[in-house]
Formats: sequence, structure tokens, C-alpha cells
Amino acid sequence: MPIARVQRALGERLFYGLIGFVGLLVVWETTAQLGLYKKSLLSYPTAIWRAGFADIASGEIWPHLQVSLQEFALGFIVSLAIGIPLGLVIGMFRRVDYTLNGLLAGLNATPNVALIPLIILLFGLGVPSKVVVVFLSAFFAVVVTTFTGVQSTARRHLEITRSFGGSSWLAFRSVILPSTLPFIISGIRIGAGRALVGVVSAEFLSANVGLGFYIGLKGQFLDTARVMFGILIFGLFGLFLGEGVRLIERRFEAWRPSLHR
Amino acid sequence: MTAMQHLALSARGVRMEYRDRGSAGGQTLVALENVDLDVADGAFVSLLGPSGCGKSTFLKIVNGLIRQTAGEIRLHRVAKGREDAMVFQDAALFPWYSVTDNVAYGLVCAGVARKEARKRAQPYIELVGLSGFEDRYPYQLSGGMQQRANLARALAVDSAILLMDEPFAALDAQTRELMQAELLRIWNAAQKTVLFVTHQIDEAVFLSDRVVVMARRPGRIIADIPIDLPRPRALEMKRTARFGEYEDQIWRLIAGDVQNAAKENADG
Repeated sequence: MPIARVQRALGERLFYGLIGFVGLLVVWETTAQLGLYKKSLLSYPTAIWRAGFADIASGEIWPHLQVSLQEFALGFIVSLAIGIPLGLVIGMFRRVDYTLNGLLAGLNATPNVALIPLIILLFGLGVPSKVVVVFLSAFFAVVVTTFTGVQSTARRHLEITRSFGGSSWLAFRSVILPSTLPFIISGIRIGAGRALVGVVSAEFLSANVGLGFYIGLKGQFLDTARVMFGILIFGLFGLFLGEGVRLIERRFEAWRPSLHR
Repeated sequence: MTAMQHLALSARGVRMEYRDRGSAGGQTLVALENVDLDVADGAFVSLLGPSGCGKSTFLKIVNGLIRQTAGEIRLHRVAKGREDAMVFQDAALFPWYSVTDNVAYGLVCAGVARKEARKRAQPYIELVGLSGFEDRYPYQLSGGMQQRANLARALAVDSAILLMDEPFAALDAQTRELMQAELLRIWNAAQKTVLFVTHQIDEAVFLSDRVVVMARRPGRIIADIPIDLPRPRALEMKRTARFGEYEDQIWRLIAGDVQNAAKENADG
């Protein structure tokens, strides 16, 4: 059976994932070609493919992709670089927690989009303001999950280090950090998603380059195939991010039974 | 006890109070009152009593995890390393460490480099019967095997006295019996002093040279019973008449307390 062979080669997860994806494409294309909805409103796979291919070939898409990627990477990396250490400090020192908790909760509850006009005033229309929006979007998720992780370190695990006379630094390295790691990885996962939302919303509101801008611009010209192409790139990028986090998870958490399926 | 014998542990007038935050005016709860206890070098001594008698609290005071309100604890000094090592209730292994790294952890706490600590852990892994499981993670081990690793971790620091806090309480009845016999074998091989906390009478009688019986409210020692049964002991000994007599004697001492404790738990 060739299908069985394909399934074995790809693995069950990927095999059925592809079936779902291809299935959607087939249904979408068929309903469009049958004229069940207006093609110009929702476009359809072959049109998206043609438009996407044209913009890749002409090079039109690259500057947008490059700028968006840059904004995402910078903002997200800075949010991790500040968020994880800050989360660890908040988790370990009760008074730091009390001092910052209200502030963080308040800022976290504020929809980030509401801050964009202010951020543009402060950081201008270019890349820096987008980086700040991305940073803010991911930052709180990273901080909150990290300090929640530290605070849920099992007491009895901390007791072991104390019982054998180990130092606080050893307790941090050997107990707090590994038991917080699953939380930090959740923070990275949630933060990456929010950062992506940050890129799009900031570029929608004000930009002259970037994938969000590209989607907005093509929308104004009713070029739905290119709108869909832009959305598709974001979707694929999000998918790859998720897979990346899964890889990190596997690398660091061999001791967790749930991952050995 | 003769004056010639070395003492591994000597406790005098140990008292432990807690402020009861629940009650108005901050009443004081006395968890331990005037506890005197001597444990001779190489002896196996059990602390036995109903829940709430302060036996685990006493062990944590000896270990230094909590500080007593009054009184004195003296541990036999050793040249290097720790005087005492704790074998915890419900294993308390780090799930992110392999068996070897868990067993080596006490040494790492004492400042031994990880590589050297892993090397020194190996004979203790063999002693507790975990050879071949060195690279397993705790979730891959049965409850009994986790307790073996827990025991090996405490043995590896080579302390003068081993403190064991109801280590077999979470195991099923058969595994528990097996582990009791295993513990005696290991105790014999490692030549350690053991202070063993339990609420199980047969466990205390089977393992110990002395059973120190405690009562609650306030937590205090009410009897100190030498167990004059020959060693080495095998599990069959639990079915003998003399063993039963020891069990009865101890049960009569704590029966009232146990019933009170049960009633209070039921009342919530």
C-alpha cells in the first residue's frame, strides 16, 4: 500500500495534519469554482498561489517580510531577555513581587492596541515603534508565566537542598530553574503568539512597509488573493514558531512523562 | 546506656511552640515539650506515635530544617561532611534528575563536583539494589525503587546518623514489608545510626533496637521500650508470639491517643 508507506515516512501526526490542510484547500477551491460564493471576496487557492508566486518572483514581498521579521525578532528577543530574568526575580523575592504585581497586572490588562498611538508619538513611525509594540505584547506573558513558575516550586523540593546544606545558589540552579522551565517555555509559546499579533496590529495602524502593511494595502485595492497570501505567510510563520518551541521543549524536558508519547 | 558508649545524638529539653494564627489572641500550640533523647552510635531507634505527636517535627529539628523554641540538640561530630542526613517521606526525588544525579545530590550540596559526586554515588546505588537503573528518571521507577534512591542519596553523604521520616508510608503493604527487610540489610552493611519516624507499630518493632513512644497534646515521650529480639531479623519474626507481645504493649500505650486523633480528624 503506497498510502501506508507515505504515512510511515511522514509520521502519523504530520500525515493527518497534511490531510486536513489539503482537504481544506480542495473544498475551498471547489466551492469557489462552482460559484458558491463571490470569488473576489474570499479569493481561492489557485489565485492565491498565482498572486503569491508573482510577488515572490518580482521580489515585491521581500522588503515587507524582512521588516516584519526584524520587528518581530527584535521585540520578542528583548521581551525574553528582560522578561525571564525579571520573572525569576519577582518569583524569588516576595517584596519585589508586592511592589510590581499591581503594576504588571494593570498593564497586562490594558489592551496593547490602545497604547499604539502613544508609542508612535514616542518612538516615531518607523521600525522602533513596532519593536516596542511587539516587546510589550510578549513581555507580560513571559514575566507572568515565569514568576508563577518560580512561585509554584514545590516546597519539599526546596527542603531537600536545605536539608543537605546546599547553598541558595545551588537551590536556584538545581531546583527553581528546572522546575520553572516548563512555565518559561509556556511563556515563550504564549509570548510568541502575542508578539505576532503585535506586529500585525502595529503595522495596520501606521506603516509604509511590512507584512501587516502589505495586507492592509492590498485590502484597500480589493486584491483578496494577496491579502490571503499575506495571511498565509503569517499563519505559516506562527506554525513554524510553534514547532520551534516544541523542539526546545523536547530538548530540555526529557524527564517529563507527558512528552514521551 | 553506659557512659562508655558514644552518642550519635543527644537531645535535652527540646521544646517547640507554634503561634496558632487561627485563634484570636494568638494562642500558643506546644508541638514538643521537654524531649530528652539519647541515641547510641550504631543503634536503630524508632520514634512512634499518632499523627500530631511531633515526631516528624523532632526529626526536622535534628536535621536543622526548623529551629526549636528551646532545648539543645547535640550530634556526634564527624571529620568532614554532614553529621546527619534525611530520608524524606514520599521519596522527594527531583523529577528532572536521573537516579544517579538524585543520589549524588547530597554530595553536590556538600560542595563535591558533580562528576566526582556521581562517581561516589555509584556504590550506594548498588547497595540499595538500583544497578541498571542509573539513568532512569523518577517517573520511570516504582514507589519502592524511588524510596531506594531516596535512601541511597542519604547514605551517600556518609553521615553519622540517618534520619528517616516515615519513608515507607506511601508504599503498598507488600512493598513496605519488603523494604523493611531491605532496610535492615542495608543498615547492617552500611553500619549507620538510624532515627526512624513511623506510626506503624509492627514496623517500629521489627526494625528497632529501641522504640521511643510519643503522645500528643503536647508532643512528648511517654515510654522507651528496648526491643530484645535477635538479629538478623527476617519478616517471619512478625508472626512470633514475642513480637506480638511488643506490639500489644505499645498499642496499649498509644490506643487512647490514636482514638482521640482519629476523632479530631473526623470532626475536621
